[in-house]
Amino acid sequence: MFFRQIKRNAAKNRKNNGLFFGSLVIAVIAFYTLLSMDKQDIMRFLKTIESDAVRKLLQLIPVVYGVSLFFVFFLVYFSCHYQLNERKKELGLYLMLGMKKSRLFAMLMSETLLNSLISLVIGIPAALFLTEAISLITVRAAGLDIIGHEVTWSFPAVAETAAGFIIVQLTAMLILSTRFANTEPAKLLNPDVSETQGETMGKERKGDAFFFAAGCILLAAAYGMGVMLFGSFDVVIVLAVLILGTAGTFLLYRGAGAVIGRHIQKKGAERSGLYAFTGRQIQENILCQHKTLAVSSLLLLIALSCVSYGIGTVVSSQAATSKTTDFSIQGDEEKEDWENVLEILESRECRKYISGYYPVYLGRADAERHEVSVDGLKKAVVSIKDAKDKEMQDNVAEYMDSNEGYEYFIALSSYNDVLEAAGKGKLSLKDKEIGFYTSMKEYPDRLEIYRSALKDGAYIELDGEQYQLSEELYYDNVVADRQITLEKAFIVPDELYMKMVEDSDRLFCYNAMLRPELTEKEGFMQTLEKASEIFREKGLVYESYLSGIGRRMFYTVAGSYITIYLGILFMIIANTSIALKYLMQQQGNRKRYRTLMMLGADIGELCRSSAKQIYLFSGMVLLVSSVSSVFAIWTMFKSFLSLPEGVSPGKMIALTGAAFAVFVATQMIYVMIIERAGRKDIRNLNIR
Amino acid sequence: MNHDKVLEVENITKVYGKGENRTEALKGISFDVLEGEFLGIMGPSGSGKTTLLNSIATMIKVTSGKIWLKGEDISSFKGKELSGYRGKAIGYLFQEFELLDNLTGRENIILPLSLHGMTGRESESSLKRLAWHFGIEDELDKFPSQMSGGQKQRVAAARALIGNPGIVLADEPTGALDSRNSKVLMDRLSALNEDEGRTIVMVTHDANAASYCSRILFIQDGRLFHELRRNVRTETTERFYERIVTVLSQLGGGSANVL
Repeated sequence: MFFRQIKRNAAKNRKNNGLFFGSLVIAVIAFYTLLSMDKQDIMRFLKTIESDAVRKLLQLIPVVYGVSLFFVFFLVYFSCHYQLNERKKELGLYLMLGMKKSRLFAMLMSETLLNSLISLVIGIPAALFLTEAISLITVRAAGLDIIGHEVTWSFPAVAETAAGFIIVQLTAMLILSTRFANTEPAKLLNPDVSETQGETMGKERKGDAFFFAAGCILLAAAYGMGVMLFGSFDVVIVLAVLILGTAGTFLLYRGAGAVIGRHIQKKGAERSGLYAFTGRQIQENILCQHKTLAVSSLLLLIALSCVSYGIGTVVSSQAATSKTTDFSIQGDEEKEDWENVLEILESRECRKYISGYYPVYLGRADAERHEVSVDGLKKAVVSIKDAKDKEMQDNVAEYMDSNEGYEYFIALSSYNDVLEAAGKGKLSLKDKEIGFYTSMKEYPDRLEIYRSALKDGAYIELDGEQYQLSEELYYDNVVADRQITLEKAFIVPDELYMKMVEDSDRLFCYNAMLRPELTEKEGFMQTLEKASEIFREKGLVYESYLSGIGRRMFYTVAGSYITIYLGILFMIIANTSIALKYLMQQQGNRKRYRTLMMLGADIGELCRSSAKQIYLFSGMVLLVSSVSSVFAIWTMFKSFLSLPEGVSPGKMIALTGAAFAVFVATQMIYVMIIERAGRKDIRNLNIR
Repeated sequence: MNHDKVLEVENITKVYGKGENRTEALKGISFDVLEGEFLGIMGPSGSGKTTLLNSIATMIKVTSGKIWLKGEDISSFKGKELSGYRGKAIGYLFQEFELLDNLTGRENIILPLSLHGMTGRESESSLKRLAWHFGIEDELDKFPSQMSGGQKQRVAAARALIGNPGIVLADEPTGALDSRNSKVLMDRLSALNEDEGRTIVMVTHDANAASYCSRILFIQDGRLFHELRRNVRTETTERFYERIVTVLSQLGGGSANVL
């Protein structure tokens, strides 16, 4: 009997609070996705090449999980509170009929446990399905068509998800049911919610509207500071922006109720219908819930920023993955002569995988014998007038004084081989002309400086002879990995290269490419792995494109995965708490709709008023968080997440816009569910 | 049809539930209310008096019988007609005031007019007159939580009257008030009845409040079983009060059984 009652109550709770139940299922899915991260294909792959970084990232996961649980706790607490409030009368009756407190307590806890289990039963399979899909999509998006996909099922992740989830639920319910079980039955039987609500009205003071103005000013200050001063990443400024923004948001909502009240007082006399009622309802909601509104708005802001950051990292890293070669072979372990390397590359086993190779002539000029003067380049850099980043301009010029890093040369033929392998057109230099190369394409500000200098007719002198630098800047990777970063180098005709660079330094490595027909058939990763194995066996010292991708992919995954996860979680929490707070408020004023009906309001009108209330209420949250996030994202891309060369801001804006649209759509779903519930409530009130 | 009659109730019945759970709350009640009358309805708990009032207020649909208000059959009303009737043709005064606690006094009072398309400016003159009549001019910009019980009920009374309804229905209007506030309210209501000829139908337990009425119907078990009339010209409220109490004790074998 007792168990049947629990089952029935639990089912009723699920049905009446579908919105919350749905959010819980999503939370379960998110938890599992996070916790099973180490079992995902992409992570397994990264472990093999970036084991240290991956280990550090995986150590971070429990912290992220803990933070998520902390936030989910509040969500669960609010919604259980709402549910119990709905059932106050029923609980009071149980107590009046002689149910022991301990039994009531046990009943409530068992109901929670049962519903937690059901959310897990639905959530976990959905999570398994989703993680598989994410695995497949990320692998494809990262350009590693076949890593060798494995269907994984992480038992520890399931256990941790279930444990965390159930603990949070039971803790919230423990606090609440103790409170409810200890309330006098009479108080439970006669809910007095509406009385306490009505009391918030009329308590506003004259100064309240001032809060609103102060909030707007603080927010504007935070936006301004963020956009203008964030670039230098000074801790004081970051803290100031955070404090100003948070305080501004809280003050804004604190004063919004008073502003709405004034507006109604002013405009109400000219309006008819439910204008005053709808306005006062919204005002009351905001007065009672200004803290929730502020917190939700900030959570949505964090969520939007997280997701944009995630998208930003993915887009940036994709731009950086333009491949020019698969292997750079730097010699062999024993004989240290290039003849042997060529012999190995020509061997039958290697030819099976390698379609072609070319020598890369990249080396340092002998400083004792040759003089490299970059004064002409420096002059051009110094004379740039409209540089966006003055600091960078000074920095670049300063380095030229010591000539540091300006002694690297690349032979034109090698660079053309690189271009050809990347499927690009060849570069041809005029007489007395040389090209300027940099691999710093992730730093658009620096590129901008170089580019302007080249346009201004920069030149260098080699052994006293002047060479014009061609106007274009070159940045296609000359080797497979970027372990050797060439901040700058000069692309010179082969004869000049031979003259400037000593014989022993001339050949840097051999670049080799995999057979495209094999990579298409067996997948790039697998072919790369097999070829690498042969090189290892033969004792070649090489670097492959793999480690390059590995490093980039790690940043992509670490950056995007966790931020997007947190973004989604925060969004759900923000939306659910707005929804729940609204419903709780609504709970207390059903009677008002009844009175209105008695006074001659028709049902359609009441439904429209109720819809307007929820749309405006949640719109208040969305509006502030959207404005804030525009500035937050602006600040972000301006400072620590600068877009690399070749990524158009338009694409970023479009993608962030799409993410924003998804957010709005999700919130609309929540709002529509509440609106429907409100409509049903009003129709049920039909007094005739 | 006689148009001096504001309200005609014709053999109405109301049945709740089905089969074994069937309960007859009203078992065929008929009466008329004349223009300018102050009618009281009294009876013990469960006698059906609130059901009767709610039927007239269209809060409940009767099972059979007809209710005519100024010649219109209100039991057939639906949708727009129904919401037009509520708040405009009738004014309703609740025991628990039922003010919307997030609206100011002024907003509460003009609500019935707003709901029927009038703006605050258009209703200003009626509002002022009623606020003066009920002595609540200072309460107009307050929220209910800032008013006393008596003030709340007077605001509610002003709200019931602002639409200039043909009839005011009051359900135990003094039920939640102390005796002093009850007296203030009843004085004002009866003044409206006498000076402006407002028709009022009031359900009450309180013999004191009932003594302001010009006629009282007693209901028991869903049937009318007695009627008292006051001679308005010659009989004071005190005298009528005594008669009510006497009748109650004679009829029910003690007030405990009747009140």
